[in-house]
Amino acid sequence: MSISSAKLSTKLLLPQTLAASLEALINKILALESANASFDKLANKTLTLMLAELGFGLSFTVVEPSAINHYKLLVTSLTEHADCTINTSLKTLRELKAEQQLTDLIKQDKLDLSGDIKIAQQFAHIVQQLDIDWQSELAHHIGDIPTHKLVQLAKNISAKVGFATTQIQADASEYIVHEQRLVVTKGQIEHFSHQVTEVAQQVSDLDVRVNHLFQSLNPPVN
Amino acid sequence: MTSELKMSASDQNHAPESLHTPADNTTHFGYKTIDKDDKVSMVAGVFHSVAKQYDIMNDLMSFGVHRLWKRFTIDASGVRPGNKVLDLAGGTGDLTAKFSQLVGKQGNVVLADINSSMLNVGRDKLRDKGLVQNIDYVQANAQYLPFEDNTFDIVTIAFGLRNVTDKEMALRSIYRVLKPGGRLLVLEFSKPEHELVNKAYDFYSFNILPKMGELVAKDGESYQYLAESIRMHPDQETLKAMLDNAGFEQTTYKNLTGGVVALHKGYKF
Repeated sequence: MSISSAKLSTKLLLPQTLAASLEALINKILALESANASFDKLANKTLTLMLAELGFGLSFTVVEPSAINHYKLLVTSLTEHADCTINTSLKTLRELKAEQQLTDLIKQDKLDLSGDIKIAQQFAHIVQQLDIDWQSELAHHIGDIPTHKLVQLAKNISAKVGFATTQIQADASEYIVHEQRLVVTKGQIEHFSHQVTEVAQQVSDLDVRVNHLFQSLNPPVN
Repeated sequence: MTSELKMSASDQNHAPESLHTPADNTTHFGYKTIDKDDKVSMVAGVFHSVAKQYDIMNDLMSFGVHRLWKRFTIDASGVRPGNKVLDLAGGTGDLTAKFSQLVGKQGNVVLADINSSMLNVGRDKLRDKGLVQNIDYVQANAQYLPFEDNTFDIVTIAFGLRNVTDKEMALRSIYRVLKPGGRLLVLEFSKPEHELVNKAYDFYSFNILPKMGELVAKDGESYQYLAESIRMHPDQETLKAMLDNAGFEQTTYKNLTGGVVALHKGYKF
């Protein structure tokens, strides 16, 4: 991220807006009964994520439960103190679905980690373990029948959107390849590659024959 | 006693030049010039009146942006587990709540305010949130802080300095209680960077804000004082110079929301 975009994000208070939104969202999810997340080993620990696309860091601190609260996550853009810091990109973060992948991504130079790796592994483990029954949570608020109807509607819409996307892609491909002939087909590329290979082979054979002829016309002098 | 300056209605949005240089025994209360001895009780009156509606009014007046300004202050503080923090003029404890969670059990946060009503509202709010382990409450005047020298790693004063009678004295007092290496963060209303924003802000402050106060907190006068006290507060460069004069080093400031608010930071070495 350039200096000017970093200044702009500071002016617009983007790190703070993102941190506040994430904090509210994460703590809402953690408060759900079905979340069942265990932060016992992470009390007062801080994981800092430095994402290349953002240009600023986000720190996740586990706040110990009080008499009336469960574990909570505090999200800030404080980066001075962290038990573990991960430098990576959003794309790589999406790949990080299992804690075992951490070491693989470090080996591939897609992720740089400093501090206690166990902290990162435990955070990854919690994300992996989160298995929220969204239908049941929604049913608590709006009732069973509306939830069922809403989920069916969402599934129908999702299926229709999926079908429409496939259809649009197929039609677009037909139009571009066959009607407008703007791009070549896979078969044409393969045919062309085959022809190039044949020509290369013929040139190689010719080269051998020419060398052979030269040698027969000018035999080596003993 | 109180000597109110006479102003025409059209002048009310602009602080008269004479108000910028009060005599030694006088100070400002909004656009009024008053005896220094009277300011504490007059400001106390304002905050006793608005304490219960303070949070809701802050959200309404700033459209919730005050929460982001406070988050920015915490992010700029560099707070660590185990730190000792003084949240001066801490009011209803927004900063204290976050600091308390970030310094952990080994750390400590002191929520100090001169106004007992604000302190009570803050204490009730924090206790309701379950934040009790590492917070102390002290009723204190920023000019005469009742703490030993070199006590705190961080001192913050958010939207409080402009209400202090003798700001220079308060800054010297804060400097005294900071540990070497400690830092002060002053979050305060300031001067907008662009003239257009300034005019829109003036219109909002003097025409809409007091009406909101009247409607929600049933106290338009206190919010008229708020608008006036913001205009009378030193601008960014003046406040930075005041921090320098009090002994702070590496003083900087950042304008937030176009300079409507500025965060000043200074270190004690």
